[in-house]
Amino acid sequence: MSTPEADLRRAAIARRVVYLLLAVAIVATTLVPTEMKVVPSPLSRKVYDRLEAMPAGSPILFSFDYDPSSKEELYPMSLALLRHAFRRGLRPIVMTHWLNGVGLCKELVERTAKEAGKESGQDFVFLAYKPGGSNLLLNMGESLKGAFDKDFYGKPTEGMPALKGVGSLRDIPVVVGIAAGGTTEMLIAYGRDRFGFDLGAGCTAVIAPDLYPFLQSDQLFGLLGGLRGAADYETLIGRPDTGVKGMPAQSVAHILIIALVAGANVYVFLIRRPRRKEA
Amino acid sequence: MAPPSQPVRNTRQRVVESAVLVGCALAFLAACLLVRWPEAGPKKLSAEGLGIFVAAGLTLIIYSFLYRDNPLFKLAENLYVGVSLGYGAVMTWYLSLKPEVVDPLVFAPSRAALLDALAHRTVPILMGILLLTRLSRQHGWLSRYAYTIMVGWGAGIGIPIVVHSYILKQLGPSVRPLGGGFWDVAGGLAILVGTVTVLFYFFFSVEHKGPGRAVSRVGIWFLMLAFGASFGYTVMARVSLLIGRVHFLIGDWLGLRP
Repeated sequence: MSTPEADLRRAAIARRVVYLLLAVAIVATTLVPTEMKVVPSPLSRKVYDRLEAMPAGSPILFSFDYDPSSKEELYPMSLALLRHAFRRGLRPIVMTHWLNGVGLCKELVERTAKEAGKESGQDFVFLAYKPGGSNLLLNMGESLKGAFDKDFYGKPTEGMPALKGVGSLRDIPVVVGIAAGGTTEMLIAYGRDRFGFDLGAGCTAVIAPDLYPFLQSDQLFGLLGGLRGAADYETLIGRPDTGVKGMPAQSVAHILIIALVAGANVYVFLIRRPRRKEA
Repeated sequence: MAPPSQPVRNTRQRVVESAVLVGCALAFLAACLLVRWPEAGPKKLSAEGLGIFVAAGLTLIIYSFLYRDNPLFKLAENLYVGVSLGYGAVMTWYLSLKPEVVDPLVFAPSRAALLDALAHRTVPILMGILLLTRLSRQHGWLSRYAYTIMVGWGAGIGIPIVVHSYILKQLGPSVRPLGGGFWDVAGGLAILVGTVTVLFYFFFSVEHKGPGRAVSRVGIWFLMLAFGASFGYTVMARVSLLIGRVHFLIGDWLGLRP
């Protein structure tokens, strides 16, 4: 007869079997070189099209608001966005609202700038971090150089060629926020709706459903969701990287999870049926 | 009371688990020694190479929690918290306290600059210091002055902005006129019906019976669909994190994939 202790033990074993199956599926798919066609979603395409439509030399603000715990999902899309911006000859202004994301952000900016042969202060600016969150945005809306009088490397922002013609957030036509938390909502309320720039977003898959209402109200012009969003953007810029490489494993894992959920439901249905008949 | 066979089984289990742990550690060391990175990769004894070994070891230790909580996992967990805090403290000093407080007040280039810094920074610095009085039971009440200003400022600035951006702006798409193609009309109707029925489900002043029960049941279905979408996205996120780590272990650590 089934006891609660036995049920718990069985559940613990079943849980470990699920983990093992998932690990085997992902490792096997990673080891076997598999190519998978990625068809970009309309929401990812909108972000790409907006950047494509910008004239060369336009300033664009990137707010990379995440830390290493979300790196696997958000770093690939940040990389693809910066590569696209540099290729288009835009002037990226890069910052983060996350203190623990500064190192990651610095590595990202320096890597893409080196690839594109761009110079700090001349072709782009890395403002790094300042505390304040929404208050910082309001401050940047008044005066960007007042909020950040120096860049990360200690160079004064006043007179910097990369910030030519940029007095405040009102002078930046497009902002893209890549977030692992609530900073996209903050950028909408304290930035986009107040200072009038176009806002695009990238986020972890967990928070993507929360941002869909802002697409319907046109407060966001596009959305890159999770690793799939990164794969979409890498495909759009014609430079496949970790996002595209992760798609076969992601698909196999999803199929496995769907099969497990369906199988578990059938199993529970079958074992409950005789019990009901007995009752 | 535990049955007499329990301790014997636990001891045996512990021995087996210890043996597996030692085996895993030896396998990890062997992998680190035998691994051959491509020519362009980092050298094993360079800082980057050692960093990869440490990261690979910590990744495996963290995933050992999936089997069972263990001392190595706790070590890695505490290390993560400690490193994050230490990094945060250093960054706060270099990106906030030093440039905003220390440099303008202590290393002011001129008397005029010092007076300017005092005029603009004294009140914020004072408020910051008042917040720290929370650490003292005797003087903790002083922090209320700083909190009062923060809450008052936050509410005054935030409430109109939030109402405008999160409520008024969202009302538009909820009651958008039906038009366009079939799917546009269907989408508009779904949003309208979903919004109304979910709001009705959370309206507890009226008992949900008769037609009201049917409306709230439709609301529950919409909620279930939303939870299902959230769950699906959460699964996707967690799997993405695992894929990233597996890519690191197989590619960067073991060098089995470019």
